[in-house]
Amino acid sequence: MTGPATVVKAEPTDEILRLDDLKVHFPVKMPFVQRLLQRGETVVHAVDGVSFGIRPGEILGLVGESGCGKSTVGRACVRLVKPTAGRIFFDGQDITKLGGEKLRALRRRIQIIFQDPHASLNPAMTIGKAIGHPLRIHSSVFGPQKTGSEEFGEWIRQKVLNAMKEVGLTPEEQLYDKYPGDLSGGQKQRAVMARALILEPNLLVVDEGVSMLDMSVRAKVLELMLDLKRRHKLTYLFITHDLATAKFICDKIAIMYLGRIVEIGPAREIYADPKHPYTKALLQVIPIPDPDRRAKKVLPRGEVPDAVHPPAGCRFHPRCPAVLASCGWEARDFVDFLDEHLSDPKRAGDDETILGPIEDWRAKGLVASLETNPLKVRKAVERTNAVLVEAPVAMKQAVESVSSQNRTVIVRFRSHHQLLQSNVQGRVVECLLYQ
Amino acid sequence: MSGKIFFRGRDLTQLSNQMYRRIRGEEIALIFQDPMTRLNPLMRIQDHFLEEIHAHESVSSTEARTRAREALVSMGIHETRIRNYPHEFSGGMRQRIMIALALVLKPSLLIADEPTTSLDVIVEAQILEILQDLKEAYHMSLLLITHNLGIVAEVCDRVAVLYAGKLVELGSVRDIFHKPLHPYTQGLLASVIHLETKELHSIEGSPPDLIAPPSGCRFHPRCSYAQPICTERIPPLVEFEPGHFAACHFGDKFL
Repeated sequence: MTGPATVVKAEPTDEILRLDDLKVHFPVKMPFVQRLLQRGETVVHAVDGVSFGIRPGEILGLVGESGCGKSTVGRACVRLVKPTAGRIFFDGQDITKLGGEKLRALRRRIQIIFQDPHASLNPAMTIGKAIGHPLRIHSSVFGPQKTGSEEFGEWIRQKVLNAMKEVGLTPEEQLYDKYPGDLSGGQKQRAVMARALILEPNLLVVDEGVSMLDMSVRAKVLELMLDLKRRHKLTYLFITHDLATAKFICDKIAIMYLGRIVEIGPAREIYADPKHPYTKALLQVIPIPDPDRRAKKVLPRGEVPDAVHPPAGCRFHPRCPAVLASCGWEARDFVDFLDEHLSDPKRAGDDETILGPIEDWRAKGLVASLETNPLKVRKAVERTNAVLVEAPVAMKQAVESVSSQNRTVIVRFRSHHQLLQSNVQGRVVECLLYQ
Repeated sequence: MSGKIFFRGRDLTQLSNQMYRRIRGEEIALIFQDPMTRLNPLMRIQDHFLEEIHAHESVSSTEARTRAREALVSMGIHETRIRNYPHEFSGGMRQRIMIALALVLKPSLLIADEPTTSLDVIVEAQILEILQDLKEAYHMSLLLITHNLGIVAEVCDRVAVLYAGKLVELGSVRDIFHKPLHPYTQGLLASVIHLETKELHSIEGSPPDLIAPPSGCRFHPRCSYAQPICTERIPPLVEFEPGHFAACHFGDKFL
């Protein structure tokens, strides 16, 4: 099996965060008997070999569609999920396996903000108490040691009021004793930011932190983020599905698809001249708010596939508008194509009587097979060839042979090229087009 | 509730519930934001179609089934999947099923309420393409409800802008995007973040409380052009140029 491999090695830098071939796999819950019958483990390949680094004061945008693993990367950085393999370095220190008191100390320096500010705040806790809560948790490394004393309470109160002022949550004295329910969405997100910033972290992971906010409020929160970056040299991992927002604030962009980074590099270059077909597709679908510039788009087909059995070779190949014969075509791509073909009565004609039903096809690696009536086998081979004429050119070229064996039709694919990362014009791309 | 709703010259507010049921689905169909919560998780896709067809038309089960299959296939979903349950489909497929359900009775008006908001960007573009094709193929009218101005620019012919329960501007998509007359429309357009955004803009303040809406023009507390008259008198919807309406006392200033 020739899977994607990493050839671009990390050089030692002043990076504050470095992920090295990070993998996070989640087990799929299955009935006991099924688990026994199945050899090997069934896992969701949420993150499957991700490497990148962030320098201090940099904003890295991690962009992708839902289910691509971008949030899992963010959670792994804060160690909210356990990495399956690979390593995470923070400020030169390997934090992959950190636990206990050391992990707690680390969390002071890496904070995370989630999409829904309402769900992130305890409805029974006042804003002031919520923002000051991290200080109480980390009191052993922070501030005066006499927890519970009056001075300690006053010290926290002052820190909280300062933090509120910092993020523009004003008038801070009035808002201090309010509950989350009394605040607007933008105010709540500011409160969440104040709570994350009160420990003076070095790295802030922002997971879709502005996606739920109204356009007008979103602009304000983004400006706040840029302002904090300038004043405190704060570093961000900015996770979003919105390339337009990412363009505005990110220095570097990483595009993720199904657990892999397909393109990563300086934001300016990627937006000016995207290389990976997936990046091109994502940029193309952003609507332009100008009715005079409507254009027909070349859209990728279908939707993001299942991460339990990601496609072979390049994971984007079944949907890619620029796909080659060597990108990773395999048996199930043929079965999917045939399914689509048979579902269109105009194209299918009587194909279904010879090649159907689709459930009878078996797809295993590079070999798709259909067991049929011995008298029908020859006809089925002929018909398979006829149907393949209509297949995408790249898939057609990837078919090594269509043959028969006794009563079985066999469609065999060539093995694909090994997918490597290449340096292209200042960025790293994982695509055969540039290899 | 007051006012009137005219559909093909008939005031819908005067209809009895029974008569209204002949309009819903048959004449005016509706698709929603989240297709998962709109499909019954305990019903096969086929039964969604059959229930709808039988509620409106007296046709045989065979014919109803044929039509359901056709509607599904026209949305690019294999007919064998008609016996599947909603959870067995992806988000984009579910929304296509919703559209197929809306179209099976051949309505003349389709209301799409944030039809792509819960979908990924590429699937969103796919669904918008389908809606545009349908509009042309069936000569169907589309009322697209959305907060996304980019989608409006790409799909719509005419645009109505609502603020705090009131229509503030109405015009062709070009009027609205190139020559917005209402300060709220202007603020809204300026706050869109797109690939060519150089500077962020936002509208000061937040939407008003509708229990006690502001006097006069409801936008006046957030409007940088507000004058004393704006707090006193409700601006009427005025046609400033052919087909381009705005409810602003100073709309002519922006012509």
